[in-house]
Amino acid sequence: MFCYQCEQTTRASTGNGCHEVKGVCGKDETTADLQDLMIYGLQGIAQYAKRLRQFGENPSEADDFMLYALFTTLTNVNFNASRFVQLIKETAVWRDRLKAQYEALAEQQGVAAEALTGPGQWRPASTLAGLMIQAQEAAINLELQQVGEDIIGLRAMLLYGIKGAAAYAYHALMLGYRDDDIGAGFEEALDFLATHPGDADQLLDWSMRIGQLNYKVMAMLDAANTGSFGAQQINTVNLAQVKGKAILVSGHDLHDLAQLLEQTQGLGINIYTHGEMLPAHAYPKLKAYPHLVGNYGTAWQNQHQDFTQFPGPILMTSNCLVEPSPAYRQRIFTAGPVGWPGVRHIVGGDFAPVIEAALALPGFSEDAPEQLITVGFGRDTVMGVADKVIDAVKAGAIQHFFLIGGCDGAAPGRNYFTEVAEQAPDETVILTLGCGKYRFNSHDFGDIGGIPRLLDMGQCNDAYSAIQVASALAKAFDCGVNDLPLSLMISWFEQKAVAVLLTLLSLGIRGIRLGSTLPAFLTPALLAKLGEAFDLKATGTAAQDIQDAMKKAA
Amino acid sequence: MSEHQITLTTRDGHEVTFSCGDSFDVVSAGEQAAILLPSLCRDGGCGACVGHCAEGEYTLGEHNAGVLSEAAVSGRDVLLCRTYPQSDLKITAPYDYAHIHFGHCEARNAVITGLKTIADRTVRIRLSWQDEEGGKAVEFEPGQCMELEIPDTGIRRAYSLANTGNWRGELEFLIRLQPEGRFSGYLSRGAEVGQILKVYGPSGAFGLQSDSLNPAVFIAGGTGLAPFLSMLRRLAEWGEDRSIHLLFGVNRESELFYIDELDRLKQQLPGLSVTLCVWKPEPDWSGFSGTPAEALQHYLQDHPGDYDIYLCGPPLLVTAATQVALARGIAEQRIFSEKFG
Repeated sequence: MFCYQCEQTTRASTGNGCHEVKGVCGKDETTADLQDLMIYGLQGIAQYAKRLRQFGENPSEADDFMLYALFTTLTNVNFNASRFVQLIKETAVWRDRLKAQYEALAEQQGVAAEALTGPGQWRPASTLAGLMIQAQEAAINLELQQVGEDIIGLRAMLLYGIKGAAAYAYHALMLGYRDDDIGAGFEEALDFLATHPGDADQLLDWSMRIGQLNYKVMAMLDAANTGSFGAQQINTVNLAQVKGKAILVSGHDLHDLAQLLEQTQGLGINIYTHGEMLPAHAYPKLKAYPHLVGNYGTAWQNQHQDFTQFPGPILMTSNCLVEPSPAYRQRIFTAGPVGWPGVRHIVGGDFAPVIEAALALPGFSEDAPEQLITVGFGRDTVMGVADKVIDAVKAGAIQHFFLIGGCDGAAPGRNYFTEVAEQAPDETVILTLGCGKYRFNSHDFGDIGGIPRLLDMGQCNDAYSAIQVASALAKAFDCGVNDLPLSLMISWFEQKAVAVLLTLLSLGIRGIRLGSTLPAFLTPALLAKLGEAFDLKATGTAAQDIQDAMKKAA
Repeated sequence: MSEHQITLTTRDGHEVTFSCGDSFDVVSAGEQAAILLPSLCRDGGCGACVGHCAEGEYTLGEHNAGVLSEAAVSGRDVLLCRTYPQSDLKITAPYDYAHIHFGHCEARNAVITGLKTIADRTVRIRLSWQDEEGGKAVEFEPGQCMELEIPDTGIRRAYSLANTGNWRGELEFLIRLQPEGRFSGYLSRGAEVGQILKVYGPSGAFGLQSDSLNPAVFIAGGTGLAPFLSMLRRLAEWGEDRSIHLLFGVNRESELFYIDELDRLKQQLPGLSVTLCVWKPEPDWSGFSGTPAEALQHYLQDHPGDYDIYLCGPPLLVTAATQVALARGIAEQRIFSEKFG
């Protein structure tokens, strides 16, 4: 096992990365290795899919499988080794299907079919022991001795960007949105990785391409969310419990939430969001369900406490699952790409078992006093008051914007993001997205001329909204985004954040502060390279970083 | 009374500390501190709480030599329910941190909904939550047990659940009638449908290693089938397809039960195969003649490989089957057992 795809990875003087029998996230060696092997197999699908497109074919079903499979490998998504044994078999089936199709078309057209090697012709072993031996050839750090840690780090950054973008694309797919160009982009990137690339500039260039691909993916997801549920609207959300039977929905998948809301209509069950689901309350078609009563708990890393205390079933719709504690192991359900061995899994969007559990469990016995927060400052909302915002900036009432976005985590250094929010001067506005906001979103920051100082733009995937707002402001001020009085403090944790970071960099956004700990796959040389190219910096102290930012404002 | 610090290290490396007076056993002291350590009989009889004392002085109370041999005692293995500290102790426990329940063990009332003799000396008792305050959910891991209290006596006995966690409030137990057993006496003479019992739990650390990809062999002696039924029923509910061979043994054919249910489970679980073992069969018996430990010997001989071995039944069977598995090269840490009787 070798894995350093998330922020919590083991750090040691002898080298960073989880390489013990169990990673910090809880993923065991077998699961980690099987995930690597499955990704190797996905490269084989990509190899043939890319070549099929040259014959005018559109292997969209294989792409859908690829997105799902990639998503299962994100941090805190699927820990079920037996699921990966199955997925590896399915991967080979898809690859063989595309291969046969490709070779038939080539023959039909009198063209010599390429004889692909590596993942293109790999045969999964029939036993677990055999798969584990094969997995050694699929490890991310396989050629460390030959190519060095910088190239391995760049390959990793590219792969993690692909994984993050795939997760976002999967969310869009669940809402019925797909794009052939995006599918082709994933195929090309995985096909490129299958070549064992060793040129640093080429790898960096591909990372930027993935950043651009992810920009398209996020635009598609934005269209999927707003197209399915309406544009975000400002809404207050109750953080307190309401008497009655209850279901808690965590993760990111709004489609699952919508289905559950539909299936629980009129049953007297209250639905609560958790973690990254909070922004659901901003979408008109979701908030229209009267039994979507509020948000319970905070960010993902607090789920042991939140879930233990919740008196109903919990539905985990996408990433952020940590090992379910015995206190709620019997009443947590997974769906979609998520999984934990021995935990009930919902297939096909039928939430009847969750509903049955909700009716059997006690629910909340009494109401708690209302505690309201405001959400819904997606791009449409903010653009709707763009004139007021621009006037406030011109008048000096708003001197600076801080975008504090990304995932939360358990590391102590993450207080940085709380401190930035709390210490940001009164004449500044804080834009936030992702679950990092739970560190400060119940704090009253007041307003500037009626514009709230804290604007919650949504999930981490709503980084697209933030980019649109920044672009609109830049246009209004006739300057570049980098010239705006805007500082980006990005709290990265896993691969979705890597994809967003690559998007921001590919858009030429400079001076991002990344923290609380820098990615382990970024070697000192790579950091220097990114620092030089994009002025990418590690988070410092909140006070100093705010002071630096305000100099920009002055 | 002196208080001593108990430091318990679980199988997965977590530490749990609490204090224990020298007149208390470790399990009881944990309970007082709202730390419920997995245990079954609490009487030195079942071996569910075998640990190893790495440091400190203690007194080991009376116990069944079948679950803790003299050699094991000399090697400082202990039964936590019979360990009385004389100093601070450092003990390694045979279960993971996740199996420890933090909180007090509360009783719930359940009504007897079914009571049936299903084989010689074997009774199936079905219960349903009576009180609605805590909701209808029955939550436990397959392999766990609950304690049933004989009405108006305060006497409790732990039995494995044979059904799976459910939202209908249903509990099912398979109980072998023991000639001198208090609960057996109650079942034979006093129990009837409609009566209310107090139920405590769940508890216990026996259960499926859900993260393992090894094929499994389940070895059940008599009502030791109960936790395996629970596991198989759960696997069937969730459509899991792991390879499992069940060796179910009794002394005589008249003691066999749930054969139809096992056939039904085989339909739902393509990876399940079953060998019925009768120690003293009638001449026309077509299954395996002998004990499940002997059947295991044959099975491992015919199907060599890595297995997870699960054992539940009387101590003699568990010990014999464990020795068979070890002799066939199964790693000790891949053998999971629960003894009763």
